[in-house]
Amino acid sequence: MMLTIQLLASGVQTGVLYALTAAGFALIFGATRIFHVAHGASFVLAGYAFIAVTNAGLAWPVATLTAVVVAMAFGALVNICVYRPIQRHEASFFTVFVASFGVVICVQALIQFFFGLGSVVLSSPLTRSSEVMPGLYLAPVFWVAIGVSIVLFTLVTLFLERTNAGLGLRALSENPGLLLAFGLSAPRLSALAFCLGSALVVPGAILSAATTGIEPSASHRIMLISIAASVVGGIGSVRGAALAGLMIGIIENVVVLFLDTQWSEAASFVVLFFFILFRPSGLFGRAVAP
Amino acid sequence: MSIQRRTFLISAAATLAAPALLRAQASPYVMGTLFPMSGSNAEFGAVYLNGVQLALEHIAADKILKREITLKAVDSQGSAQGGAVGMTRLANVDQASYVMIGFTGVSKAAAPIGDRAKVVMVNGGGVGPDLATLSPYFWNVIPLANQEVRAILPFIQSQKFKRVAMIFTEDPSGIAVHQELDKGLPGVGAQLVGAFGVAPTLTQFASVAAQVRDLKPDAVFFASVNGSQVVQIIKQLRDNGISQQIMTYSSGNLPSVSVLPEAEGLVFTGQEADWSAQDPIMKRFADGWRNKYKAEPTTYGLNYYNGAMLFAALAKGLEAAGKDVTGETLLEERRRVKAFPLAGGQVSFAEDGTASTGVQLNQVRSGKIQKIA
Repeated sequence: MMLTIQLLASGVQTGVLYALTAAGFALIFGATRIFHVAHGASFVLAGYAFIAVTNAGLAWPVATLTAVVVAMAFGALVNICVYRPIQRHEASFFTVFVASFGVVICVQALIQFFFGLGSVVLSSPLTRSSEVMPGLYLAPVFWVAIGVSIVLFTLVTLFLERTNAGLGLRALSENPGLLLAFGLSAPRLSALAFCLGSALVVPGAILSAATTGIEPSASHRIMLISIAASVVGGIGSVRGAALAGLMIGIIENVVVLFLDTQWSEAASFVVLFFFILFRPSGLFGRAVAP
Repeated sequence: MSIQRRTFLISAAATLAAPALLRAQASPYVMGTLFPMSGSNAEFGAVYLNGVQLALEHIAADKILKREITLKAVDSQGSAQGGAVGMTRLANVDQASYVMIGFTGVSKAAAPIGDRAKVVMVNGGGVGPDLATLSPYFWNVIPLANQEVRAILPFIQSQKFKRVAMIFTEDPSGIAVHQELDKGLPGVGAQLVGAFGVAPTLTQFASVAAQVRDLKPDAVFFASVNGSQVVQIIKQLRDNGISQQIMTYSSGNLPSVSVLPEAEGLVFTGQEADWSAQDPIMKRFADGWRNKYKAEPTTYGLNYYNGAMLFAALAKGLEAAGKDVTGETLLEERRRVKAFPLAGGQVSFAEDGTASTGVQLNQVRSGKIQKIA
């Protein structure tokens, strides 16, 4: 029984971080319809930026702020320098996809060049778990992850639903042409989507660097999780992606009660497969008429 | 007159043939490397390649060979497919006669291709026991898993560990170590109370740690050749309340592991290496490594340094005998000479191509690796 609760707790800790990262991806895709594969690279860059600043002896709030700036700047730059020029030539979805993938490879090579090939880990007392009740070990980072995720998700939801810019972001995917009529700028809203979506990777990146470590090639895994969560949650639905991210984290951990440990990662993608099969529109997706 | 004509014709033929002959003589030897240079195993590949490059510098500085050595480095990506593709390229396109290789899965995929092309393959990183029997052209300069596991058993006995839990990657190397440990533990009065196979790409070990903790083992042994994963396992075991002794094999011998605070006390096996030894070859290697890479040497670096130096020793013998340097002649020469003075002492090869090397027990203490047995 305690093992089940322990695995559930581990799953929630992993899941809330997946949720935020996936929500960022869904926000970008929902607003711009760009399959931002380089979202994983934002995650890795934010993690390395945080570690670099921390290792330089600066306080964690400075490191966090740097990570946010790096992630947002990277997202905005990829949008301006890669996606917009391609879209100006009315290139296909796949052209953008491949370009984004190329950005991931470039970022990976640059990180390897500057930070080395191995993984880097941030040692923090926050990650050391202690027995809170017989058989249940929790680290302070568990509460940090949950707290940060709830606060950020609430803020993002309020922003999307209660502000003009948020409404503009939602309208951007529906009818970019109509935005002009209301005096809103589609490129500016796209930039906002990339900045906001990229900033959402920061908590996950920092806490991953502290709990599991981060490596140059980590972006591929982050990308997979983000895509899986977005599909399960309903393409473009921020709320759906967040819930699916949480589910993937929990399933990944709890599944070892029933299956060999080696299948834990695969289990989340089996869930993805079943969703595609039985509910192609995802948890919160809208059915599209043929 | 006829003599003059003959002399003229011979001279003319020699003049015409000379550039080609000179070109043939001057063409460098091709040494290949098939290491993981990207992905999560790239840290291993970098250490391996450092060893080879240091050796090539020493070979060139000593003018051991009449020809230069050209290094062709191919990225195996640490995968079997990468191994097969890379070996095909090195053997058929680059015409390498000697390839340094690492990782059990990569080696198994590449060995049949190298064997067909008669290319010598030297492994200094993979530890699967069956690497000893892949091909006459496949040589090992690293103790294999069976030797490494045998070396840690006395430690388990001396610490009176009765219950050992294991985490291993579901790849040829991890499975081999799992089998050896399972077989060896009863002999020292211990038992494997649980073994958790994990995917080589797994990064989240909280659930595995919870299961391990539930077993209440006296010690935990893990086997992974994924450099990033080694760090992740150690950190996450400690973070998730595993305070018991953690042990592994030579994959623990990485710079990123020894500097990890959570790795304090980690015990791991590795081949015998005394970096403070005063024998000139070892001293040159250790000093050279420190100067070039500004870090302490590692046994993986030593293995590949020795692997490249072995090529120089073999090729030098062949040059002296007036023979071509090919995979076949390199194999003949190794069988003829039998023992070679390399860093760490005389290295001799068994008939299956596995070098005789001792195994020592190391522990991470205050961020440094110390020999404990």
